[in-house]
Amino acid sequence: MPKIIKLVFLLYFCFNFSYAKGINTKVEQITKNLRCLICQGQSVYDSQSDFAISMKLVVKNMIDEGKKEKEIYDYLKSKYGEWIVYEPELNQNTFLLWLLPLILFIFGGLLIIRKVSIK
Amino acid sequence: MSNYLGNYSLYIALIASVYLIFKSYLDANSENKYLDKNFILITSIQTIMITVSFFSLVAAFVISDFSNETVFNNSHTLKPLFYKVSGTWGNHEGSLLLWLLVLSIFLFIFLLNSRSQDTKYKLLTILFQQIIISGFLVFILLTSNPFKTLYPIPTEGLGLNPILQDPALAIHPPILYLGYVGTSIIFSASLASMISGNIGDKWARHIKKWVLVSWVFLTIGILLGSIWAYYELGWGGFWFWDPVENVSLMPWFCLTALLHTVIVLQKRNSFKEWTIILSITTFSLSMSGTFLVRSGILNSIHTFANDPSRGLYILSFLFILILMSILIFFFNQNKISNTAKENFILSKETAILVNNWFMMFFLSVVLVGTIYPIFLEVLNGSKISVGPPFYHKLLIPFLIPFLISMSFGPSLKWIKDKLKKFNYNILIIFFVSLLISYVILTKTENSFLLSLPLIVLSIYLLLVTIKDFFVSKSSISQKISHFGFSLLITSILLNGLFSNEFNSNMKVGDERIFNEKVLKLKEVNVTDVDNYKSLKASFEVTNKNSAFALYPEVRIYQQPLTITSEADIKTTLFSDNFLVFNILKDDGYYNVRYQYKPLMIWIWISTIFISLGGLLSVIRKNEQKY
Repeated sequence: MPKIIKLVFLLYFCFNFSYAKGINTKVEQITKNLRCLICQGQSVYDSQSDFAISMKLVVKNMIDEGKKEKEIYDYLKSKYGEWIVYEPELNQNTFLLWLLPLILFIFGGLLIIRKVSIK
Repeated sequence: MSNYLGNYSLYIALIASVYLIFKSYLDANSENKYLDKNFILITSIQTIMITVSFFSLVAAFVISDFSNETVFNNSHTLKPLFYKVSGTWGNHEGSLLLWLLVLSIFLFIFLLNSRSQDTKYKLLTILFQQIIISGFLVFILLTSNPFKTLYPIPTEGLGLNPILQDPALAIHPPILYLGYVGTSIIFSASLASMISGNIGDKWARHIKKWVLVSWVFLTIGILLGSIWAYYELGWGGFWFWDPVENVSLMPWFCLTALLHTVIVLQKRNSFKEWTIILSITTFSLSMSGTFLVRSGILNSIHTFANDPSRGLYILSFLFILILMSILIFFFNQNKISNTAKENFILSKETAILVNNWFMMFFLSVVLVGTIYPIFLEVLNGSKISVGPPFYHKLLIPFLIPFLISMSFGPSLKWIKDKLKKFNYNILIIFFVSLLISYVILTKTENSFLLSLPLIVLSIYLLLVTIKDFFVSKSSISQKISHFGFSLLITSILLNGLFSNEFNSNMKVGDERIFNEKVLKLKEVNVTDVDNYKSLKASFEVTNKNSAFALYPEVRIYQQPLTITSEADIKTTLFSDNFLVFNILKDDGYYNVRYQYKPLMIWIWISTIFISLGGLLSVIRKNEQKY
C-alpha cells in the first residue's frame, strides 16, 4: 500500500506543471496569473482597466530590472495581499485546499480496494 | 393586471402544494393500492397556475409594464423583443420563477410517465417533490416576488446589462435549469424508493431516463455558457474556472458518476447505497449552485443579483433538505435488500467504480477550490484567489490514469473478465498515436516531456473509441459519448498547446507583423444603432498565402452606460482567428488583441457528440442487451 501512495505522490510532483501554454512573453505569463482587483473575475492580462494597465507596466519594469518571477509575486503579495495571485501558495492557510482533494482521492482508492476482490 | 394574476396564481399553487404534501403523506401511510385521481388533478392545477404566473411575467416584459418592479429594473422599451422575453429569466426573481416552473412541469411529466410504478413509491416522490416546490414558492413569495408593483409608474425601465443581451445567454439559463431541476426528480425518487424499499434493477431502468435527461440538458447548458463566454467576454477563453462556471460543473461530475452507477444497478442489481448517495449529492450540488450564484457571496461577473437574506433562506432550506435526506438514508438503510455481489478486479463493475473514483476526485478539486476561499475568509479574514493554475495543477496529472482506464474500461465484461491474449491491434493503435503525437509536438516549442504522455494518451483514447464503433458490442450511445469525450480532451489539449496571441496598441493605418502574419487596422466606422453607439473596426490579416478581413466592434450602450467589445471570429474546421479591440484613453489608439486558436470548433462539436449519445439513449425504445 505505501508504495501506491508514494507512486501517486511521485506522479503528482512529476507532473506538477503549470498549464500556461502559448504564452510568449514573461509579462503575459505573470499577468495572466494576477487578479485585476477592480474588475469582476478578470485577470490583469485580460483587463483594460487603469489598474490592469498600470499593473502590466509594474510587472514589465520589474522584469526589465531582472527580478525573478517569485520576487515579483512576493512584492505584489506584500503590497496587495494574497488575493492578487490566482495560484495560492502552500502555507498553513491553504494546505487543506491543496491536500484535501488528494486525501479524498487516496481514501476513495482504499474504498475501491476493499470492495474489489483480487482473484 | 398581469401583476395580480401572476401573484395570486402563485398563492393558489402554494395551497395546492400544501394540500399535496399532507395528502401524499397520509396516503403513503395507508395501504391504498391505487393513486387517488386527485393527485393528477391537483398537480395539473398547480402546474397550470405556475405556468400562468410565469407567462404573466413574460407578458409584463413584452409590453414593458413598468408598474412591475422586476420589469422596471431589468427591461427597457428600446430593447429588441427577443431580449425582452429572455429578460424574464435574466434576473433573480424571474429565474427563480423559471426554476419553479420547471420543477412543477417535471413532477407532472413524472406522474404521467410512471403509471406502472408502485403506488407508495409514487406518493413519496410527490411528497418530496412538493416539499421542494413549496420551499421555492415560499422563497419567491417572501424574498423575491417578481410581481412587486411600483407607483407612480415609471415611464422608462433601467435596462438589462448589454453583456447579457446575447442569443446563447438567452437560452443558456433555461437549458441549464432543466438539467439542475431534473436532478430534483432523481433526488425525490431515490428517497422515495429508499423508504418504499423498491430500489433495484427495475427502479434503475425507470430512473435512468431522468438521469440521462438531466445530464443531457446540463451538458448543453454548460456548453452554451461556455460558448457565450468565448465570444462575448472577449478574452478568447472558453473556461475561466470562474466560481459560477464551477458551480455548473460540479453537479455534472456527480451526474456523470450517477449515470454510470445506475447502469450497474440496472444490469447487476448492485451499488444500491452508492446510487442513493450520488442522487442526494447531485441534487444538493444543484441547489447549492443556485445558492452560491444567487446569494452573491461569489465574486463573479455572473452575480447580477445580490442579496444576502435570500442566500440565508436558500442555505437553511438546503440544510433542511440535506438533513432530511441523511436521516431518511440512515433510518431506511436496513430496507435495502442486500444483493451486493462480489466484485472482481477485471470487470465492468470495477471499471465503473474507477470512473466514479475519478469523477469524485474532479468534483472534490472543483468543490474545494470554489468554496475554500469563502470559508477561509469567514474563519480568519484572509482573502485568497483560487484560479486556473490551481485547477490545472491538480486536475491535469490525474487525466493520465483517467484516460488509460477509460481506454480499456468500457470493453471489459460484466462480472468477471479474463486477461486476454495480447491484442496486437491495441499495440498498433498505441504506436500510431505515439507517432502522431511526436509529429505534433515537434511543431511546438513547449516542453516536450510534460505534454507527451497527455497528448499520446488522448490521441490513443480517440483512436480506441473510433475503433470501438466497428468492433465493440456496447451501445451506440455510449460509443458516441465516449468518442465525444476523447475528442474534447484532445481538442482542449491541442488548443492549449498551439494557441498563440498578439497584443498591441494600434491606430488607424498601423501595421504589425507577428508569427509570419501581418495585421493591419484599415479603418474604424462610428454609427448609431438602436440602443447603442457602434465602433466597427476593419482589420486585415495577411498570411503567407492567404488574406482575410475581421470586423470586431465596440458598443457603447447608454441604458445603463456600458462598453462592450464584440469579438470577430473567423472560424474554420482547423482553427479560429479571434480579434477583439478596446478603446484607449490616448487619442486615436486602440488596444488590439489577436488570437489564433486551433481546433476551437471541435471543442463545441465534441461536447455536442457527448450529449448526443445521452439523447440517443433517452429516445431509444428497445435497449440493446449485451
